[in-house]
Amino acid sequence: MKKSLTWRLAAVLLAFGLIGAACGSDDSSSPATTAAPAATDAPAPDEPEPEPEMAEDVTLRVLVHQNPPMVEFMEAFNESFEASHPHITIDLSVVEAGDLSIATQTRLSANDIDVVGIFGFSNAAQSYMSGAVPPNWQTLIEAGLLMDLTGQPFVDNYDEATIADAGSFNGKVYSINLGRVSYSGMFVNKDLLAANGLEVPTTWGELVTACEVVKAAGNECMTVGGADGWPVFVGAYGLLGAMYPDQEALVEGLWTGDITWDDDQSVEMFRRMQIYTSDMLEQGVTGLSHDAGPPRYAAGDVAFMPTGVWQAPALESAEPDFDWTYVPFPGSDNAEDNQYLFGKYDQGWAIAADTPHPEAALAYLEAFSEPDNYQAFANAVGFIPTQPTAVLDTHLGREVAPFLANYRVGFEQYWVAPAGAGQWANGSQAAAWFSPFNEWTDHVALAAQAQADLQAGLDAN
Amino acid sequence: MKIVTRDYLFARGWRSAAPILLLLPGFGLYLLIAVGPSLATAVYSFTDATGIRGIAINWLGFENYDEFLFRGAASRDNIAALWRTLVFSFFVTTIQFGLGLVLAVLLNSRLRGRTIFRTIFFMPVILGVAIQGLIWKLFLLPGGGPVAEIFSWIGWSSEFLGGQPRQAFAWVIVVQIWANVGITMVIFLAGMQTIPESLYEAARIDGANGWQLFRNVTWPLLTPAVNTNFLLNIVGSLQAWQLFLVLIGYRPGTQVLGYLVFAEGFGQTSGSVSSAFRQGYAAAASIALFMLVLVIALAANAFVSHREKKYLS
Repeated sequence: MKKSLTWRLAAVLLAFGLIGAACGSDDSSSPATTAAPAATDAPAPDEPEPEPEMAEDVTLRVLVHQNPPMVEFMEAFNESFEASHPHITIDLSVVEAGDLSIATQTRLSANDIDVVGIFGFSNAAQSYMSGAVPPNWQTLIEAGLLMDLTGQPFVDNYDEATIADAGSFNGKVYSINLGRVSYSGMFVNKDLLAANGLEVPTTWGELVTACEVVKAAGNECMTVGGADGWPVFVGAYGLLGAMYPDQEALVEGLWTGDITWDDDQSVEMFRRMQIYTSDMLEQGVTGLSHDAGPPRYAAGDVAFMPTGVWQAPALESAEPDFDWTYVPFPGSDNAEDNQYLFGKYDQGWAIAADTPHPEAALAYLEAFSEPDNYQAFANAVGFIPTQPTAVLDTHLGREVAPFLANYRVGFEQYWVAPAGAGQWANGSQAAAWFSPFNEWTDHVALAAQAQADLQAGLDAN
Repeated sequence: MKIVTRDYLFARGWRSAAPILLLLPGFGLYLLIAVGPSLATAVYSFTDATGIRGIAINWLGFENYDEFLFRGAASRDNIAALWRTLVFSFFVTTIQFGLGLVLAVLLNSRLRGRTIFRTIFFMPVILGVAIQGLIWKLFLLPGGGPVAEIFSWIGWSSEFLGGQPRQAFAWVIVVQIWANVGITMVIFLAGMQTIPESLYEAARIDGANGWQLFRNVTWPLLTPAVNTNFLLNIVGSLQAWQLFLVLIGYRPGTQVLGYLVFAEGFGQTSGSVSSAFRQGYAAAASIALFMLVLVIALAANAFVSHREKKYLS
């Protein structure tokens, strides 16, 4: 009996041991120990070609954010890439845009990804930003998690300004950016305006009049995907840009105190934001998701949809015969100030520094960067191209072409909140704080609150 | 007759180690996945950890706590989130508890189709938070959604989740209760089914009416279930944040402390896709949440212990 108990106990402990071993990581197969190249170990183009890795089957893990036309293109591109690289299989992961930085950080830290979609580098901490925390992309680079792409031949396919502004840090290239988008314009329903005897508005006064006319005729002035929150304030980024065409200077001014949210110009901007939110947007947009915006707009009874150019493919898909144009949001009384399109560098590619398949990852980016493939991507997604040989040969491309010379990076890409600033400190989002989306009904009070919340952060550092 | 278990548990020599050895793997697992991360969170709360591999972690002392509780206007928002958490917990706990009890009493009676009703009320519990959120987002569409339609019959209108923060917050309370009342009901039902029918019969013979049966038989003997539900509802509601994420996102005037921890830890506060990850700061916020839960749970535990002594001793 005693012996039997001993054996039973031993068997139980052995079983737990086996379970523990099975749950533990197998270091021998871990990518971390497979001589993964460091950031500077990526094969340089001027070195002899490495031994082809293609002899063994490779699964390349690629991460992108949700953008239906882009994901559709990626699936088609991956198929063609796999056909031309039979030893490589693409494992594509798609996450919501808001979750991209979380997924990127966790999967890079876990060495569980090879190629990552990454937004254009922005929000760098400037010298005047006392106590500002570096943005996530900068932290990833400083942690050595992104491969140095400097000198890779495909980098030269992109224009120098893009590489410098949206993919470089401390003189090295870590990302190739695939396109700019504008978020400060608005789609215009040409048929509806014509039916009401209206021209495309070029000043704030004309916009207010146009809204009054179309509403008097039983139609709606504007719609946005208000249920997601951010489309409401992004829809007013054009208003912000029209009032402050130099957005980088606006951020610096707010930090240094040269500009305040409650000075006369800003209060006027808050007033117009309130008109946009409370009077111009149609009722019910609090329940309209961002993705549902284009189909709603394509119904034809709404004059304007202030949103980013990325919604053009969805709009065309919802109603191919819908006749629209895209113009800067006319937020200023001066038409000259309403000529700018503001935006950001959108999707880019980066490679995990510790990827066990650097050759396959580089081959993937090289194939993607081939002018024909890139052109197809730009056409599918509607990005303003970042390869100088590419053109945006789409309806959207033709509509925005007159404004591209006036393209500027927007406030959102420069703004960093001081630590300790309150929740109302980023006045660029004020449009989403007015009723019906939030509690504010007095633009003067909100402007004062925004400045007080900002000042509290500035004083705390 | 000799009691065998006594032999095993208290035997002399190496046999006395058997229970300890058998408990060790489970205890080790508990240390690894429960105690370890909790202690690590406490340590991280004194650092500037980002959660990114390869970035040095610096010791900050109480700086994160100082920022969370005292620095600038952000501390005002944090304290507001703390109060909002208490309000959320109060309404969820009281309503979910009361509703769960009423449903359990009804479905413990000889109601026709009670099994179907039990299934219906319990069903939301098995759905994930994302599904629960999607369902209610559709229910609460301001333009043409079913609830908006019902409201229109009586002349009401609401922007629901996309509108005023207080309205949106109230709807999250509704969804939280809907999602969890099933488990409260089942715990009460389980408790009711352990009460011997003979006690009810005896009370009826003594002339007790329905209310007296509940007041003097069901309620006292339901004490273990009452206490369990009370504690589960309090702790669960204090820690809730996922429904806020799914239903309304990060919006001024709606955050609870749990959501604040997530948003700070994973760069979700500014609306920018490149926000910094402040996991050290988020750890400090989560310790603040832990202290809140601890204080309330201890008080609640003292209360339920008192009840147990009163009714069951």
